Amino acid sequence: MMNGGLRALEERVFDRDLCVSCGACVSLCPYLRSWQGRIVKLDECDLAEGRCFNYCPRGKVDLNELHQRLFGGPYKEIEMGMVRSVLMARACDSVWAGRVQNGGVVSALTDLAIKEGVIDAAVLTDREVNLLPRGHIVSGREDIMACTGSIYTSGPTLEALNRGPWTGDERIGIVGLPCMVLALAKMRTSSLEKRTPIDRVDLVIGLFCTWALDYKSFMGFLQKRFGDRTIGKVDITPPPERIMKITAGDELHDIPLDEIRSFIRPGCHVCPDMTSEFSDISVGTVEGEEGWNTVLVRTERGEELVKRAEAKGVIESQPLPGDKLSHLKEASLLKKRRAIDALKDRGELEDGYLTLSRELIQQIQSESKEAP
Amino acid sequence: MSIIAQDTPGETVLLMGNEAIARGALEAGIKVCAAYPGNPSSEITGSLAGVADEFGLHVEWSVNEKVALEVAAAASFAGLRGLCTMKQNGLNVASDFLLNLNLTGCEGGLVLIVADDPGALSSSNEEDSRAFAKLGDLPLLEPATFQEAKAMTKWAFDLSEDLGLPVLVRTVTRVSHARGNVLLDELPRPTKKPRFDTSRPRIALPVLTNHKLLREKLERAGQVFETSPFNFYRGPEKPELLIITCGSGWMYSLEAVANLDLNERVGILKLGTTWPLPEQMVLNHLSKADHVLFVEEVSPFLENNVKELFAQNCVDLGLKRFSGKATGTLPDIGELNPDIVISTLQDILEVFYEPVSAEYALRAKEISDQLVPERPLGFCAGCPHRATYWAIKNALALDGRDGFVAGDIGCYSLGIGPSGFSQMKTLHAMGSGTGLAGGFGQLNAFGLDQPVIAVSGDSTFYHAVMPALTNASYNKSNLLLLLLDNSATAMTGFQPHPGTGKTASGQDAPILDLEVICKALGAQVEVGDPFDMKATTETILRLLQDVEGVKVLILRRECALVRGRTQKKLFNMEVDQDLCLGERCGCNRLCTRVFKCPGLIWDEIAGRARIDEAICTGCGVCAEICPSLAIRKEVV
Ligand SMILES: Cc1cc2nc3c(=O)[nH]c(=O)nc-3n(C[C@H](O)[C@H](O)[C@H](O)COP(=O)(O)OP(=O)(O)OC[C@H]3O[C@@H](n4cnc5c(N)ncnc54)[C@H](O)[C@@H]3O)c2cc1C
Ligand SMILES: Cc1ncc(C[n+]2csc(CCOP(=O)(O)OP(=O)(O)O)c2C)c(N)n1
Ligand code: SF4
Ligand code: SF4
Repeated sequence: MMNGGLRALEERVFDRDLCVSCGACVSLCPYLRSWQGRIVKLDECDLAEGRCFNYCPRGKVDLNELHQRLFGGPYKEIEMGMVRSVLMARACDSVWAGRVQNGGVVSALTDLAIKEGVIDAAVLTDREVNLLPRGHIVSGREDIMACTGSIYTSGPTLEALNRGPWTGDERIGIVGLPCMVLALAKMRTSSLEKRTPIDRVDLVIGLFCTWALDYKSFMGFLQKRFGDRTIGKVDITPPPERIMKITAGDELHDIPLDEIRSFIRPGCHVCPDMTSEFSDISVGTVEGEEGWNTVLVRTERGEELVKRAEAKGVIESQPLPGDKLSHLKEASLLKKRRAIDALKDRGELEDGYLTLSRELIQQIQSESKEAP
Repeated sequence: MSIIAQDTPGETVLLMGNEAIARGALEAGIKVCAAYPGNPSSEITGSLAGVADEFGLHVEWSVNEKVALEVAAAASFAGLRGLCTMKQNGLNVASDFLLNLNLTGCEGGLVLIVADDPGALSSSNEEDSRAFAKLGDLPLLEPATFQEAKAMTKWAFDLSEDLGLPVLVRTVTRVSHARGNVLLDELPRPTKKPRFDTSRPRIALPVLTNHKLLREKLERAGQVFETSPFNFYRGPEKPELLIITCGSGWMYSLEAVANLDLNERVGILKLGTTWPLPEQMVLNHLSKADHVLFVEEVSPFLENNVKELFAQNCVDLGLKRFSGKATGTLPDIGELNPDIVISTLQDILEVFYEPVSAEYALRAKEISDQLVPERPLGFCAGCPHRATYWAIKNALALDGRDGFVAGDIGCYSLGIGPSGFSQMKTLHAMGSGTGLAGGFGQLNAFGLDQPVIAVSGDSTFYHAVMPALTNASYNKSNLLLLLLDNSATAMTGFQPHPGTGKTASGQDAPILDLEVICKALGAQVEVGDPFDMKATTETILRLLQDVEGVKVLILRRECALVRGRTQKKLFNMEVDQDLCLGERCGCNRLCTRVFKCPGLIWDEIAGRARIDEAICTGCGVCAEICPSLAIRKEVV
């Protein structure tokens, strides 16, 4: 299938304001750069086919085809994608306490994977300044600690994977948002000459995500509100409360989500994936249980790592209560439903970035229900 | 020895029009010449600078045309002969002084040479400077040949002293820049001591008295012109068509009439004194022809003035038909040439003439198109301006607020095109970029959120940017000026300026430090190296985004051509053929397709970029842009 190059990226992604700043297109070439949370085109490139558009999670996405190629079967599990097992877990070691976002499973699993030699290094995300995310290559606990906690603005994590530096034979792990995990799936399956270390990515931990905010406009908002006070931990409480809890200076502030909705990246409104469906392991919060993570194990290597972590006492786990699981499925399906509605509103359900069969669309529409 | 200084009266030599003018000034015994460079005028003062010591002249490159005219006028006020030269739009700058000077008059001969650029071959505008002669009631001469260029210049000084008025001489590119035979005369060595006569102050007040005096002087000029040998007629007693022409139009007309064999039908009145008109002479010729065609460059100046004269005398003259630029018979924009005049005559007189067969012309064009490589207007290899625009382009793209460059005049004006990545979005007169940027900076208060970058060359800075910068500081504007200090007035031929430490005649001069000046004018000043494009990009971004007020970033690197003359290459450059990605994704020929320094060439067969050793200046800049680090630099 003929895909496209930078021109397509510009017309179909940038101009439609769909870019989510995942960074998949950056550091492949000199034409694109990331700057203050935005991906910037510096010059014209006239190649008919390019990795930039091929890797972009808002380029062309055929869920069914990707699923076929990565999981060997058609896309059927419309709620949360392929799942082997679901659990509720948290990290045991007290070093993680107080700095991780929820249960610390993400950090603890990354730490274990490196310690056990499953991977040699991982691409995580830390703050360049303020809430500006950037990809950060880590190879030990100290570095992992510098990357704990969620940054609710989107930033070019995958740029670090493209850029390196890499020695050339390390095995790599990545923690990313669902759009990043989708981009990694596209990288893996792209037929273009790669020249990136994607084939050495052995572990993908995907985060749950409903949306991310645009860095520049959100920072403008925070600056008006908090001046130059440093922004510490940011958290979002689950429904029905839905409040952003933000530490500015030494104080904790509540911001109702309605006040920040306008900073959500438009590209997030058309995202159908809440649970990083192409990951090895997906991790999110547990509604109403502070300090715990919901963990979805999707692949054999994911399962192996989680089991090893449990066996070694790195994480402790228990089954996710049924009501929470069904809530999760509802929320995940609802995100798909909203993406379809948004695409329809934009007139992009037919010739948009996302290819979904009519049957799947109908199924999503009929099975999803509005949240309370 | 310079050819214009050759002391061999009676000998005929081959001179460029501008050299002939310079020689005329020497033969007139000038003591002072002041000018600001500008094509096609620059060689006049340039060649006089070369003989300044030998003839004991003061020759200077002034900072702008107005100051130049003031310097030359001072010589005149003190009784010496002074020359001032400039290009057409230079006269706009000098005009404020000129239109007061006409009222105060002059003492020693004062001649102002203005070189017009029909077709705007090297100008930002197409302008007929002759309008200023009429506007200022000043006598105007227009040489048509190289001999006339010399003779008229020389005579202009006599006329100036005779009338007590500055005299304008208007030349055009084809007279100034072509070469022809010129008969040399004596070279005087005047030793007159200058003195300003304080009993005769040069003050335009009372204005009306002086204006009346000026009108009388002009009327006298008209009388003198009636018998000037620079005006003459060739042709039949009663021509079917009378061509009235001046300057380069004279040669074109001669050639057209000869080629069409129209000597019996067409007469040519060639005027060398075009303002005021030699009215009687013109009326006399008008009375003998029913149809008049005007052949002149740029504007219908003669055409409209003659028509005015006709209107006053039409009762006696009867009906006439007039053709020219004003009537749409000749194109009213662009440069004339013999072909245009020929085809006009063909139409008017219904004669047929085919210089070459259409088929031959087509073939000749095809072949020449093949032989002559396309050469888009662009920066030289190693030009610091290219690196500067690269940094500007990236900074504005990253900034993301649709910023733009308010441009100015110089080599860096090429920023309007691909060589400067089309960053420049306004271009007017010298200094206007900073003036406009200062104005845009005031619009932030109304919600303008696009950043504006002004650019200025070093010579342009001294010329007209200083007042604009002062204004921006005083009126608290928000502006970033990039001062592109290449240590040269590069565009017009490397004339020295106040920042170079040399005078026109090669003597040492104090260097007027740009940094100190900008600081004194209230700007926050930083200095950078345009060759470090990454740092420059970051500095520009920081100054645009984080610093309020008037900021100047001086980007300092000598012009590549100056470096080529005085310095060795900085680096030996090489493209590693194994690392070069060429057209593959990951590069797609960034260096030869986008950056486009002529020192880099695309090897079609290898599918790789290569250094053209003959052209590369070894600046090392392109090493920074190569994504695969295939362009390597090695310190020489
Ligand atoms: C933008 C965003 C939206 C989210 N939305 C939801 C949601 O709606 N529901 C839900 O259940 N969970 C959501 N999460 C996930 C949740 O916040 C936790 O990250 C997750 O539960 C893992 O917790 P943890 O304690 O294991 O994390 P930690 O051990 O603290 O590790 C956090 C990891 O997240 C990575 N990270 C942080 N910010 C980013 C970012 N902007 N981009 C990429 N990687 C990042 C860090 O590199 C780190 O490795 C979201 C996370 C983000 C970043
Ligand atoms: C009023 C006026 N005078 C003279 C000129 C001719 N002119 C064009 S560019 C230039 C010099 C520019 O020099 P600089 O600013 O140093 O820039 P550079 O060419 O060296 O980059 C001059 C004199 C002009 N265009 N307008
Ligand atoms: S990734 Fe490839 S196609 Fe895309 S802009 Fe860069 S060079 Fe061009
Ligand atoms: S979504 Fe990711 S890959 Fe697509 S344009 Fe934005 S940053 Fe690039």
